Amino acid sequence: MDSGTASILVEVFFETLGYWYIIIPTIFLGLIVGGIPGFSAANTIIILMPLTLALDLQSGLIFMISLYCAARMGAGIPAILVNIPGTAGAAATPLDGYPMAKQGKGQQALAISFVASCIGGLLTTMLALATMPILARVGFYMHSVEMIVVMLFGISLIASIAAQDMIKGLIAGFLGLMIGSIGTDVVYATPRGTFGFLELYDGVPLIPALVGLFAVSEAFVIIEKRVIVNHDGEPKAPNWHDTLEGVQIALKRWVHIVWTSLIGLVIGVIPGAGASIASFVAYQQSRSFSNTPEKYGTGHPEGLIAPESANNGVTSGTLVPLLVLGIPGGATAAIMLVVMQFHGVSFGPSLFENQPKVGYGMFMAMAISYVFMFLTILPLSRYMSHVTTIPTIYLAPMIISFTLVGGFVPREYMFDMYLALAFGILGYIARRTGYHVAAILIGVILGPLLEKYFLWSLKKSDGDIMVLFSSTLGNILWVAFALSIILPIVFGMRRKRKLEVPAE
Amino acid sequence: MSSEHHKPPRQLGGELVIPILAVGFTIYFFSTIWNSPWTAKVSAFMVGGVLLLVCTIFFVRCVFWLNRGEGTLSFGNLFTMDDIRSGRIGLLASTVGYVLFIDRLGFTLTTFLFLAISMMILSKGRNAAFITVISGAMALTGWAVFIWAFDTRFPRGWFETTMKVVLANG
Repeated sequence: MDSGTASILVEVFFETLGYWYIIIPTIFLGLIVGGIPGFSAANTIIILMPLTLALDLQSGLIFMISLYCAARMGAGIPAILVNIPGTAGAAATPLDGYPMAKQGKGQQALAISFVASCIGGLLTTMLALATMPILARVGFYMHSVEMIVVMLFGISLIASIAAQDMIKGLIAGFLGLMIGSIGTDVVYATPRGTFGFLELYDGVPLIPALVGLFAVSEAFVIIEKRVIVNHDGEPKAPNWHDTLEGVQIALKRWVHIVWTSLIGLVIGVIPGAGASIASFVAYQQSRSFSNTPEKYGTGHPEGLIAPESANNGVTSGTLVPLLVLGIPGGATAAIMLVVMQFHGVSFGPSLFENQPKVGYGMFMAMAISYVFMFLTILPLSRYMSHVTTIPTIYLAPMIISFTLVGGFVPREYMFDMYLALAFGILGYIARRTGYHVAAILIGVILGPLLEKYFLWSLKKSDGDIMVLFSSTLGNILWVAFALSIILPIVFGMRRKRKLEVPAE
Repeated sequence: MSSEHHKPPRQLGGELVIPILAVGFTIYFFSTIWNSPWTAKVSAFMVGGVLLLVCTIFFVRCVFWLNRGEGTLSFGNLFTMDDIRSGRIGLLASTVGYVLFIDRLGFTLTTFLFLAISMMILSKGRNAAFITVISGAMALTGWAVFIWAFDTRFPRGWFETTMKVVLANG
């Protein structure tokens, strides 16, 4: 880094810091909109677009970026406390976060999630800033064939979830993939499995599926208990000890945070890939290479760190193709592009020559937002965790009403509320009879993407299936995928053998 | 070993609901793509084929368990009389009502009615005054945040229209 860039960065740092009065309120707004399914950062920025356009460019960008980062972190809060991911990007968070909350460790879980999110986000922001030109190339190399393998990394999580009862796990996962296939096919737009509903021609909308499978079904289950927390895990009065313990647990696993946030960064750079893919892949990888894979799903801190640091790693990743190539990596980045174009900002490498403060300023705003988030939100974890002690007779109806309406918001179809209710009933049956709703959701989220890339590959190769093994990077990813499946089995067998030796 | 003998039989009736739904849906899905171009079929047949296979394996396992007396065809894990006593059925009915009426009555009024009715059902009629106050507060907060402040296009009805006129006229 030359001295010119360094001085710009220092200047931008202090300038951005001066906008604390925008960043702090936006963080709280972001936490709220991130926590309610249907109110993503993208939706909120669209709703507040007149305000954003009225602000000067720097204020507008700082507002959007703070909201984006905070919403990403906010989505994990209800995922941990009440098993309701605020966005699809937090769909892997409750796998271990919610069991911790049920054990009365909600405060600890929130602290772990905040530390993983902030460190993951901060680290990847710095890395993205330093390696932007290299990272920007990643998008060029990731074609449909390579994306198929990335999707398979995420989908293989179904098998991990299914570990306890493989057949039932596979039924849930493949049912999800089948539901994800509803809608028109990507090549000829032939409607499939839509039951005649025009509203399903675009595929199954994600938010109603998320709301139904997680929130509505959970509300019907939790009424069996007086409060969410298990009887033997009754939470103590708000105290700093649990928060600090959570921070300590997370910091001890810093390698894990670094590793999984890098997965998020790389996946975030790929246009079209998103936080949901990143968090599933990170969770699956984390479990595969863990010494204690059997603890995943029972409230294991590493199972919470992986998706949270990965989905926050995505936030900085999505900025890279936007700034360097002018290609938005996700919905929020696309809206940022519109706002920047409104202010006459040009994209591409010239951005960092002509308006370096804008380019570097966006990353700086992200880094400062994460620091502010850590300082403002962490102390609140002791109060937030008390959601788990609200009697379920009040909590369950509130969850149902506000999340069902959240299902309506993205497309504003009444049909989506009916759909959320239908998914709720499916989710309830699944929970009561031992099928994993997360496996269904992974199928619904990743199924259509996998099919899209698969069909594109086949179309390009005139139906030759060998196209899947036609690229060098693709083949490297195939090997990595095979290793990520085989190595954990080998490690597991070796661990088992080691345990058996002393017994003999 | 002895603990395994004392294990209660699996309630397979409930466990079979999802696989039966899955098979039914897959067959319906196949029927919609039978005459479609190959692009619409290839992925669905692969996924659906595996789904039918794993469901078949599960059905065979169920038959095996039934034969050995390790399972019954009851639905006890899915529905019991406790679902009526605990208010779960009442909550389901009020949720269906919420979804059906929100388009006509609007977000605020329907949310208030839903919260009040479902909380009353779950609390078995206790704390009626508190429930009414909390339901009203939640519904009004929802209106203030989502409709008044953010202008989100939630379903609107009599209350929202009236409040719009009241606020417009100061």
